[in-house]
Amino acid sequence: MPQSNTGDSRVKVFFKELSKQKMLMLMSLPFLLWVIIFKYLPLWGWTIAFQKFKPARDFLDQTWVGLDNFKFLFQEPQFYRVLRNTLVMSSINLVLGFVTAIVLALLLNELRKVFFKRTVQTISYLPYFISWVVAANIVQTALAPEGIVNVLLLRLNLIDQPVLWLGVGEYFWGILGVTEVWKNVGWNTIIYLAAITTIDPSQYEAAEIDGASRLQRMWYITLPGMKPVIVLILIMNLGHILESGFEAQYLLGNGMNIDYSENLDIFVLKYGMQMNNFGLATAAGMFKTVVSFIFLITANNLAKRMGESRLY
Amino acid sequence: MHRKKWLQSSLAAVMATTLLLAGCSNGNAGEGSSKSGGSEVSTEPVTYSYFGFGNNRDVMASDTTIGKILQEQTGVDWKMEFVVGDASTKSGVMIAGGDYPDVISPVGELAKFLDAGALIPLNDLIEEYGPNIKRVYGDYMNKITHEDGNIYILPYTANVNGYLSPPDPTSTFWMQRRVLKEFGYPEVKTLDQYFDLIEQYQAKYPTVDGKDTIGFVTFAGTAGEFFTITNQPMHLAGYPNEGAVMVDMETHEAKLYQGTEDEKRWLAKLNEMNSKGLVDPETFTANKDQYLAKLTSGRVLGFVNYSWQINDATTNLRTAGDDDLRYVALPIVYDESITDAYVDPPSFVNNRGLGISVSAKDPARIIKYWDNLLTDENQKLVQWGEEGVTYSVNEEGRMVMSEEQLTNRNDNDFKRKYGFAYFDYEWPRYGDNSVYDDGNAHVPFNQPEVAAINYTEGDKALLDAYKLKTFGDFYAEPVERPWYPAWSIEREPGSPEQLFSQRAGDLQQKYYSRLVLSSPAEFENVWNEYLAEYNKLDAADFEEFMTNKIKNRIDGKW
Repeated sequence: MPQSNTGDSRVKVFFKELSKQKMLMLMSLPFLLWVIIFKYLPLWGWTIAFQKFKPARDFLDQTWVGLDNFKFLFQEPQFYRVLRNTLVMSSINLVLGFVTAIVLALLLNELRKVFFKRTVQTISYLPYFISWVVAANIVQTALAPEGIVNVLLLRLNLIDQPVLWLGVGEYFWGILGVTEVWKNVGWNTIIYLAAITTIDPSQYEAAEIDGASRLQRMWYITLPGMKPVIVLILIMNLGHILESGFEAQYLLGNGMNIDYSENLDIFVLKYGMQMNNFGLATAAGMFKTVVSFIFLITANNLAKRMGESRLY
Repeated sequence: MHRKKWLQSSLAAVMATTLLLAGCSNGNAGEGSSKSGGSEVSTEPVTYSYFGFGNNRDVMASDTTIGKILQEQTGVDWKMEFVVGDASTKSGVMIAGGDYPDVISPVGELAKFLDAGALIPLNDLIEEYGPNIKRVYGDYMNKITHEDGNIYILPYTANVNGYLSPPDPTSTFWMQRRVLKEFGYPEVKTLDQYFDLIEQYQAKYPTVDGKDTIGFVTFAGTAGEFFTITNQPMHLAGYPNEGAVMVDMETHEAKLYQGTEDEKRWLAKLNEMNSKGLVDPETFTANKDQYLAKLTSGRVLGFVNYSWQINDATTNLRTAGDDDLRYVALPIVYDESITDAYVDPPSFVNNRGLGISVSAKDPARIIKYWDNLLTDENQKLVQWGEEGVTYSVNEEGRMVMSEEQLTNRNDNDFKRKYGFAYFDYEWPRYGDNSVYDDGNAHVPFNQPEVAAINYTEGDKALLDAYKLKTFGDFYAEPVERPWYPAWSIEREPGSPEQLFSQRAGDLQQKYYSRLVLSSPAEFENVWNEYLAEYNKLDAADFEEFMTNKIKNRIDGKW
């Protein structure tokens, strides 16, 4: 369609398109409303960060305190420790979660026996469905001085004394990483398996005829085929870089590993929610959002520059 | 099961409608209309919601015997729910949403609910509908009235007709009975003697049934119950449970014991015991289930806990029947010269109670239910049950129990089924030390006759060996403290005092495990590090705040 540059006709075209896609527009309207109501309206709540907020009081009855909540947050020595823990733990989760899920997807894809493949898949994603409370209990029991892990290591003569796994702060990040992988790997794999199914089987046939080995096929066909999905998920996950999870740290943390287990969310719970200091909690939430926003935009722009698939 | 309940409730609904319709068709000449004013109690069926921040299992009140009887009297049924997980998160969510159950027992969350204006003032309602409430709480009016002149909750500790000291109080230091038996029931009074005995026994019997005996354990793995280990210096120094402070009997100054020699002494002792391999390393990591499982395994020689934290474990051990594997609480102090203060003096806790929320549809009806609950008969019902079923009355008019009735009263499952577990504590009630007009004790186990039958053979043997009549004889008489307990002094949410408590608590959580588990050579260093951190906090202001509040209480301003 030839397009003129005058604004007038542009508007015309716009409305013409609009009426053509009436149904589509009407269908997306409820979702647009949903987003506005549940994602944008709550932003109004950010005003709490600048108040000494008292719940159940009118907006006009609140006391305004300016940036006091932010000052408290950034001046609290504990804040930098929990920020470090949050960043480290979420990076560990990000990298480990990514690598294991992709590797498992690749391996599952190579399995030819459907029954075996299904079984592995089911077993690996079952833990995803149990709640963290139960999962943490399992981990605690397994890591107890008389738990299975210590018994096993003692039998194998790898250690000569039971190790108090959850009592050594330095081990916590590792334990958390392994726990997260155990719990989520099967679930995370699903999306990659779905991505693999979109790859044209004739490519494999062609490669096989050309004499590519299994590893070569994985490397040159499957992985590039998954790339768009991988990049997309990476960008989305980077947006959650300050969300290292809450339940696992809260349930597995104790006085002995507190220096390594306490993350931003737990800090906010203790000094914000539990003390009815909702202003501080909101300020921390804002901080998290801003950081996430920066990460997300940067990652997306990088992807754009590198010509990869991207979020928008 | 579910289906049946559904059937029952729908039948009940149909019945109710029919009755209502019948009532209407008869014209409104009769009284039983829904808006019964004055002292007339409506019996129209209705279900209200109850939320407790204590531990319990969810239940419909009418599924318990007691709840059913109360429902027949008043027509009111309760959907009783209890908090799962973190209490402060739950209360935060409730407040943020402004969506409350009809009545709330906020326990530690009271200040928040008050701050949010979630509870309604009860003054007028009590005046209009609460003759029994006035009778029970009359003497405590100044203590239950909030600073703004309103009454928001009805506490659980209002004693009626004087004070009956419990025959079987407990301390926080527990010792397995076979240890005492092995050494011919020696006198154990000081902390050193206590640990000595454990050490000797452990050396003699390093294993039970092929598993290592555990010398000593305490429950410090969960943030919410860390006070179990931090409260001990106060008890060892001869003070009752006041929370974070010790109050001088003469000057009434409140002093924190954190960072003092008293605290150091306790931790140094634990450190020494740990170096001998007698402290369970899981003390700081086990969750509550793991911990209670340990206590019931019979492998633990000694532990520290308030009895109400471990009720399920002690009742289970009792039901299991091996008295040697059960525990006895002893009045342990630092030195022979210290008089123990484990038995609570007559006290009134004014920040634990039941309140009506702003969401309640018919507060008058609820107040009437409470008033009805506070009659002598119903107070007997919630503590003793029904005459002839769960207790009997002998010729002298004393309330007694047969052995079978006692076994039931001690059994966790029966207590839930019958409703004792739900109605004997977190409701407006007579305090534990109350006495009925006829001279019977309000709490069955405070009744000397019942306490006597309640003793097992092992109990009797133990008491005989020490030449005592009751377990209470182990302890010193309580000393009157008009402000007691200081822990019930409310700190406003977000106040400097609360911030101090949180920070000090964080420090304890971080350093206690290190102090206990480090090598004895390192102890001094870690202690100094801890002290340096602690001294950065503003303890003086906190102490001043507490001292002022205590002096106010002595002057009658609660």
